[in-house]
Amino acid sequence: MFRSPKLPSARGAAAALVAMLVLPLAALAGDKFHVEFADPKGDDFGPGSYKYPTDPVYARGSFDLRKVEVKDNGDTVEFRVTVGSQIADPWNSKDWDGNGFSLQFVQIYIDRDHQKGSGFTEALPGLGGVAFKPEEAWDKVVLISPQGRTRLEAEVRFKAPKMKGAVIIPKKTSARGKTLVAVVKKADLGAPAATWGFQAVMQSNEGYPDKKDILTRRVNEVAGQHRFGGGNDAECDPHVLDILAGTGKGGADEVAAQKAALAYTCGSKVATLPMIYGGR
Amino acid sequence: MAFGRRVVGLLALVSALVAASAGTAVADISKFDLGARIYTKHLYANNDSQGTLWLGNPFWPDQIAGSNGVSSQLEITLTGRVSDAVSAGARIASRYGERWQDYWESGNRMYGDVVNTSGDSVGMNRAAYLKLRGPWIQLNPGLRAIDWVRIGASDLGMFNPWTIGKLRYIDRDNGKGYFVSGSVGEDRSLQWVAAAIALPKLWVGPWWSTGLGDPELTNPFWSRDWAYATSIRWAAREGTQVRLVASMTQDLEVDTADPDAVGSSNPSCLDALGHPIPGCSQDHAVDLYMRYVATNATLELQQDVGETVRAEAMVAISDQKIDASLSANGVALNQGVSPVVYKNTRDVAIRMRVTASDPFENGLTLKGEYFNIGAEYNAIFGARREADVLLTDGFLGGGQLPTLNLANEFIDFGETWVESCIGWHGGTGLLSWDNEDGDLRLEAEYTFLTFNTNRQNRNVDSVFPDFLHTDGYTDTMLYDYANVGDRGRDPRSVYRRNQWRRSQIAVFRGRKSFEIGRGLALDWKLKYIHDEDYRSTTTIDDDYLGKIMQARLQIGVPVAPGVNLAVGGTVDRWFEQNRRGTLELGYGDDQTERETGFVTASYQYGGLRAGWMLEYVHKLQRREREGDQRWSVWRSKATFEVAW
Repeated sequence: MFRSPKLPSARGAAAALVAMLVLPLAALAGDKFHVEFADPKGDDFGPGSYKYPTDPVYARGSFDLRKVEVKDNGDTVEFRVTVGSQIADPWNSKDWDGNGFSLQFVQIYIDRDHQKGSGFTEALPGLGGVAFKPEEAWDKVVLISPQGRTRLEAEVRFKAPKMKGAVIIPKKTSARGKTLVAVVKKADLGAPAATWGFQAVMQSNEGYPDKKDILTRRVNEVAGQHRFGGGNDAECDPHVLDILAGTGKGGADEVAAQKAALAYTCGSKVATLPMIYGGR
Repeated sequence: MAFGRRVVGLLALVSALVAASAGTAVADISKFDLGARIYTKHLYANNDSQGTLWLGNPFWPDQIAGSNGVSSQLEITLTGRVSDAVSAGARIASRYGERWQDYWESGNRMYGDVVNTSGDSVGMNRAAYLKLRGPWIQLNPGLRAIDWVRIGASDLGMFNPWTIGKLRYIDRDNGKGYFVSGSVGEDRSLQWVAAAIALPKLWVGPWWSTGLGDPELTNPFWSRDWAYATSIRWAAREGTQVRLVASMTQDLEVDTADPDAVGSSNPSCLDALGHPIPGCSQDHAVDLYMRYVATNATLELQQDVGETVRAEAMVAISDQKIDASLSANGVALNQGVSPVVYKNTRDVAIRMRVTASDPFENGLTLKGEYFNIGAEYNAIFGARREADVLLTDGFLGGGQLPTLNLANEFIDFGETWVESCIGWHGGTGLLSWDNEDGDLRLEAEYTFLTFNTNRQNRNVDSVFPDFLHTDGYTDTMLYDYANVGDRGRDPRSVYRRNQWRRSQIAVFRGRKSFEIGRGLALDWKLKYIHDEDYRSTTTIDDDYLGKIMQARLQIGVPVAPGVNLAVGGTVDRWFEQNRRGTLELGYGDDQTERETGFVTASYQYGGLRAGWMLEYVHKLQRREREGDQRWSVWRSKATFEVAW
């Protein structure tokens, strides 16, 4: 016979549990930069015609941007992106070193200086036919992706080497309810200010992307099991499901603003992604 | 016969649908994509087994299992747009298992089972032949109610683990059938899928087959065995979803009394005295009987409450019918190793789950689940691996699945295991907390379990499969199917002759990141299982008490762009009173000490993905009634993968 070791008492376990519950409540935020943008419900159709892939995992509202928050937490900056559906993980992202969700891929473009000639006017590879205005060129982009850091770094290094220094991979990305949360080091991004411009681009995570695309899901003319539909097979269309538009307050007029921004004509007009300024 | 007609009718309907919609399939804007992938795996261990797969098929010797060797595989993926309405694809992949040392193997087996240096002795498996896998054609018929029709391969991921499960990764091309999907409403708020799926000849039926190898059958017939399934998903409004999934598997066999059947017992329709048998006449048509039919269905309701709370409820039903005259008793004749209870069964399962994701905006997430899975629920065609229906970490730290058909095979060490949750009744509470800076995550779980399988004098001789090895905590790190190493309970073993069991599982895990160099992450997990089984309630001499303690720690460091390193270890202590034995021979109190140390590395550069793991496992099993056992195992696995 042997003697098994004593287990912790029930009182000790309860104390640990209470500590776990109380600790987070104590972490109250101070009076720091905090900006919130809203986006209309039901405009997850790109320029107006896009349809979800036909596979049932792409639940309605999964790519419908509703709210974007940027919050200064001291040494870090937190980005929160809320969509129209609870965030799911149908492809078990933990199995591929992922972040607890599978479908969404949000790129948050940031213009820190509002200066013409400073930054990039083209987006990361994989968004199809889109561009930024020269005076709204972006300086940093935060990737809110279910993919792990190693995969993201490798994709950026080989598919967008000249943008490598402007790409920020969060120190932590997670899903909470309908919200994606990404925590970025302030040392990488800088201290957010009211003069900065933001644009949140909603895409879908594609683990097996086209050789030029950074983990994005393409938009074809006809929706497929894992392809968005309603676009153009010539790839001149913006591969973008939803963006912030207008003043970023979520008004009904912003649906039309988004359609106008993402309107394209193959061979002559490229969709333009607007920056939204005016954070507090 | 009636079932046979139903099969033909369904196939005809699908065929008609396809034919009616195929008029627009013209190759006018064709587009062709060609992809390729090379995967190479090294396995090495300090034993004398040769092969490149840690655990192979437990029944059919597969010639590739073993722990020393290197193998490569090439796959070519073809996809094409035939037209706006039609696309098609397939994979052509080499058979995995040719070791680099095999050099000039041709695929011949000129010398029977003798392996020699001729290059003509070890067969096709070791010659890396290319094989067609997963051909499919998909049609968008341009009809309002039908989104697509697929003919050919699918991974069956459109249903759920309780009915027809997504095929395990290595089987992803093997499922084939006819699939039709459609939707109703501008926003596709109601989506449906209907399918007829060819049943695998192995596993979906008594005797692990749909007839082949069953001693009761003289002329097994498996080419008209199909499963039928449907999934209807209705997004009633934002945040509310209802889903119905139903499936039926059907194994048909030949009526051997039919004079038209091959090997008929009445070929001339005359009895032993030469008199005509009433009702017996040849008509060049063969009657069929049903050997086995299994029906599974689930109804799920999902309701979001506000931005952060989701409530889910599911009820499932499982029903099976076995014709004992067409199916041998796999429980009695196969040492209790059978994927079905050998009788007609019907049972239900219930699962309710509430998730509150960061409701107080302080990083705290709460999950609660109640589950009650009937003792005779069985998803014969359900998910066999790579899925999980319960929140709990379970006994083995992997997934829980409501089937006896688990497939913890064709895996390497370090992979996740699944266990059967048939008969589980209990609840799980889970708390997780992420701090604001994102560098700390804590999780705590508690699960209480009773078992609907608790019963005295259960017939495990001829009705309920016990999978032969019912006792002791399962060692998945040093598992062997034949159980020569006393590795504990088979993960499929849910039935015991005498059981009165209840269990508790507590898990505390966390992750802390530090700003050191390129970053350093510390992961830990502590787990305790308190497992009691009074077994026979007429005596205390066989009462089992297992106290299983496990600890794991890992430190991960990204040392350079694309290069990650991790080191870690585990310490296990299992104290098991009356672990194994019989009332007649007595039971023993056993203690297991197991420690591991490991190093892992991953590397990504220019499209190359590489991984490496080196592990040392030390195990000491102190057994009261038998001799002590010790393991000292070194093993490593390395993979290289490119796709273009």
